[in-house]
Amino acid sequence: MAVATRFGSSLPAPLRTPGARTALVFAVALALPFVGHNGGFTNFLADAGAFVLLALGLNIVVGFAGLLDLGYAAFFAIGSYAFALLASPQVNVHWAIWPQGGIHVPFWVLLFVASGIAAVFGILLGAPTLRLRGDYLAIVTLGFGEIVPQTFLNLSQWTGGPNGIGSLDQPTIGSYKFGFDPLPYYFMVLGLVALTVWLANNLRASRLGRAWMAIREDELAAAHMGINTTTTKLAAFAIGASFSGLAGCALASKLQLVSTEQFQFQVSVFILAMLVLGGMGNIPGVIVGSLVLSALERFILPQATNFLHGLGFASIDLSNSRFLIYGVILVMMMLFRPEGLIPSGQRKAELHAAEDDTTVAGHEQELYTEAIR
Amino acid sequence: MLSSPRRPVALGAALAAALGIVLGSTLAVPGPAGAASVVKIGVDLPVSGADATNGIPTRNGVMLAVEQANAKPLPGGLKFEMSALDDAVQGVHDPAQGAQNVKTFIADSAVLGMVGPFNSNVAKAEIPLTNDAGLVQISPSNTNTGLTKGDDAKKLRTSHPDVNTYFRVCTTDDRQGAAAATFARKLGLKKAFIIDDNETYGKGLADVFEASFAKQGGAVLGHEHITKGQQDFKALLTKVHSASPDMIFFGGTTASGGGLVRKQMADVGMRDIKYVGGDGISDEEYLKETADMANNSYYTVAAPETSKLASAKAFVSAYHKRFGSNPGPYSANAYSASQIIIAAVLKGVKDNAGKLPTRLEVRQNVAATQNFDSPIGKIGFDRNGDTTAPILSFYAIRNGKAQFINQLNVKD
Amino acid sequence: MDVFLQQLINGLSLGGIYALIALGYTMVYGIIELINFAHGDVYTLGTFFSLAILTLLGVTGIVTGPALIVVVAVTILGAMILCGLTGVIVERLAYRRLRNAPKLAPLITAIGMSFILENLMLYWHGPSPIPFPAVIPNPAVGLGSVTIQAKQIMVIVLAVVLMVVLQVFVYNTKLGKAMRATAQDKDAAQLMGININTTIALTFLIGSALAGAAGFVSGVYYGSTWFLNGFAAGLKAFTAAVLGGIGNLAGAMLGGFLIGLTEAMTTQFISDQWSNVVVFSVLVLVLIFRPTGLLGESLPNKV
Repeated sequence: MAVATRFGSSLPAPLRTPGARTALVFAVALALPFVGHNGGFTNFLADAGAFVLLALGLNIVVGFAGLLDLGYAAFFAIGSYAFALLASPQVNVHWAIWPQGGIHVPFWVLLFVASGIAAVFGILLGAPTLRLRGDYLAIVTLGFGEIVPQTFLNLSQWTGGPNGIGSLDQPTIGSYKFGFDPLPYYFMVLGLVALTVWLANNLRASRLGRAWMAIREDELAAAHMGINTTTTKLAAFAIGASFSGLAGCALASKLQLVSTEQFQFQVSVFILAMLVLGGMGNIPGVIVGSLVLSALERFILPQATNFLHGLGFASIDLSNSRFLIYGVILVMMMLFRPEGLIPSGQRKAELHAAEDDTTVAGHEQELYTEAIR
Repeated sequence: MLSSPRRPVALGAALAAALGIVLGSTLAVPGPAGAASVVKIGVDLPVSGADATNGIPTRNGVMLAVEQANAKPLPGGLKFEMSALDDAVQGVHDPAQGAQNVKTFIADSAVLGMVGPFNSNVAKAEIPLTNDAGLVQISPSNTNTGLTKGDDAKKLRTSHPDVNTYFRVCTTDDRQGAAAATFARKLGLKKAFIIDDNETYGKGLADVFEASFAKQGGAVLGHEHITKGQQDFKALLTKVHSASPDMIFFGGTTASGGGLVRKQMADVGMRDIKYVGGDGISDEEYLKETADMANNSYYTVAAPETSKLASAKAFVSAYHKRFGSNPGPYSANAYSASQIIIAAVLKGVKDNAGKLPTRLEVRQNVAATQNFDSPIGKIGFDRNGDTTAPILSFYAIRNGKAQFINQLNVKD
Repeated sequence: MDVFLQQLINGLSLGGIYALIALGYTMVYGIIELINFAHGDVYTLGTFFSLAILTLLGVTGIVTGPALIVVVAVTILGAMILCGLTGVIVERLAYRRLRNAPKLAPLITAIGMSFILENLMLYWHGPSPIPFPAVIPNPAVGLGSVTIQAKQIMVIVLAVVLMVVLQVFVYNTKLGKAMRATAQDKDAAQLMGININTTIALTFLIGSALAGAAGFVSGVYYGSTWFLNGFAAGLKAFTAAVLGGIGNLAGAMLGGFLIGLTEAMTTQFISDQWSNVVVFSVLVLVLIFRPTGLLGESLPNKV
């Protein structure tokens, strides 16, 4: 705590504690939809918030535990489909409690159920594969990420196949229905982001969190220190997957639809790019990276395209180039700033350790500082 | 450790920068219309990537209708504007993007009606939104049956089950698939193997064809679904060949495999087997891709053959003059849809003594459309929002060129 | 039974293409333990380069007589050289700096390079499938009740020949020896006077050149190409390399043929829509139960 105060000494007095700064960020976030005066902007905020949830979840796996998961969208898909099947007329049953047909478990219950189901699949995939070397694990998750959406597409008698599942239930609070206005969804997503940030922060500082980081740095050494690497890695997979279940519920109920197009490999890479850009392992970095890429996709590229069209370059469409831009971001960041725009000091030290052995000393110092804090 | 104290400041600066980007970009977002006399017609079509070959000529149809409307004297300085958004993400139409676009239109009070979407699965995501907002939308090309009829359609009208905001000027897959089956039977084909692209449009069409072909006494030997981006169809076609069909029905588009499947039929000795599809393979791209294998292909289009229709001649020449190319298969549909919305707005202005109508009034006027003269014939809407003049055309490819064979009014 | 034999031929020819791509994966992995994610896209680039060369030569259809040999030789060599250079450039730009970084880092740049290459191809030829000239006359040879096309024979023969040539190169030449030494221990190899950078660049050159050959072959075989083909094909070829035992050249080819067969047989006996799921399930299962593959040796975790 003392350290944090010293860090913050250049800021105005009320902002010198991390808690105060977090509170300020959330206050600004609460006010944002009223600044834009525009439904489209609120809609963007709600979606961007859901992607922050996804990025925070992937950050647990990739950023904290150092396990490269290239099929994260699969868990997002599982959470979303779990929600869709349990909150729509899709399943062909007619039970007295739901006269309209289908299953209609209340949204707030499903938030836990769907993230729980996603977590279970995280464990099911993780249990046999987590002993694999890092790059093999990446490929297994990638394969899994291809299998899951295709399976949902093929099982059309249950999942609606290419039509997806529509007419999903919307959240309600008492008699208030969320409806199609993005505003309540935004506030709900903001609440979920607050919850996950709080969880991720506490996890990071916990025994489990330190075990993750130990594994990330040197798995063999961690195992020799008495860390059960399998359960520790499984926990990362399960918790990361459960965050995607939350995001799945939020996005599916807002969009009223799940379909397999939403869970392709590109989505996994999009989320990974958010982490790489912002700073793997660092929560504020991940949030900023996620917001920047969402804004890039929704506003900056279309605006820049319009600008270029105005200059007479009518054939250029930058929106079409966004995967090129993500590719460039991934390459450039890993080459020149692997720790991200807003790095966690510890991760930075690891990533630069190979270049300059002297930083290891600093890195140990930092670990020590963190331990005594 | 020396660099550490700067971290929170950098963090704050970066957060501020991110917020700045987000906020800065909102200012550039189109807000509510400045002048009350501008009426926008929202257009949601896939105009980038693989779908652009369909989307751009269709959007051009709207552009032409809007330009022609503005060229005439309009009451009280009224001006129509096209507000076009793209629902393709990385080259593929995306329901989520379509829903975002519709939300953008809903948020813009100057938008009184919209044309789109092109694809049925995008429509599924959009209809609940326009239904809630009371914004009328007319699709030029959605053929999926469940969008307007039966329980599926009811499920989409979630906010106001009794108010329909979704209309279409083309006919539906149940009619198109059934007509294709009738057509195939008339060609004397008895044994069909069905392949579809496992997308909403393709699978829907193929399913209807399957049921209808069997009902009309044909034998369905099998039904397979291909995968997006699949390149090798030799194994599949070997399987099909071993069932010895006299035709293959393909449900899908050229881009989703319709061209490649036909092309690779040559490799497994099925060069002379007839290949029947829907309007998804009715584009130039198909001829280019299949080259010498294009012959022996047949397809339906859920629109009249424009060159055969007197009212279409003026449209085709105006289109050619404006864009320097022939209209796409759905340009005339989009043009007609826009004309219907424009007429509905003008009627509203007249009824309100010069004041702009509300969205619901525009919707009301669109719903009441009957005998509307358009390049695709006289259009009216039934209770479901489907056209009362469902015309289907049949084409065959001979000597590498599409030839119009027949057209059919499939009123049911 | 006839259908089974016919599908065997289909599967082997499809597998031949996977095998050619898998050789590149396995070589690169063998030497620097990197899954060169961009390799599948280099393969697609091979079809694009071939198409460009054929266009330059004015070839739009089937070529016959002596001209055929010239056209095929020029196009294949051209595609191999251009793809080989692309591979070397990719290695120089995106991987060399990260040779000693944590494994995650070059894997992420590899994904980035894959996206970059895909989008460059998107700009080059647009988003629709592109027709590819037939080039080779394609008589079908009847063998009892099954038929084999000339194109299918070409794919299978070329895959086997290139694998054998590569095997000879790696095990019987000085450069091959340098590659094997580098794969075993970079530092020791360097001390023995081997130029590590050159050797690794050479590996990328050869692996990518093979992808270029595969590109030409697949263009002719399917008669079309598309900017995103490399993703699925690359992933399946990687599955093949893992199945055969990564780092093992003969294994890569064996794996390629097995994956091709798996796909064809799934289509015949289950359904086309499940073929990808089955292939990727094979990938997951092999990695779980036999990560060393069929012909691979066990790779201990490096300490």
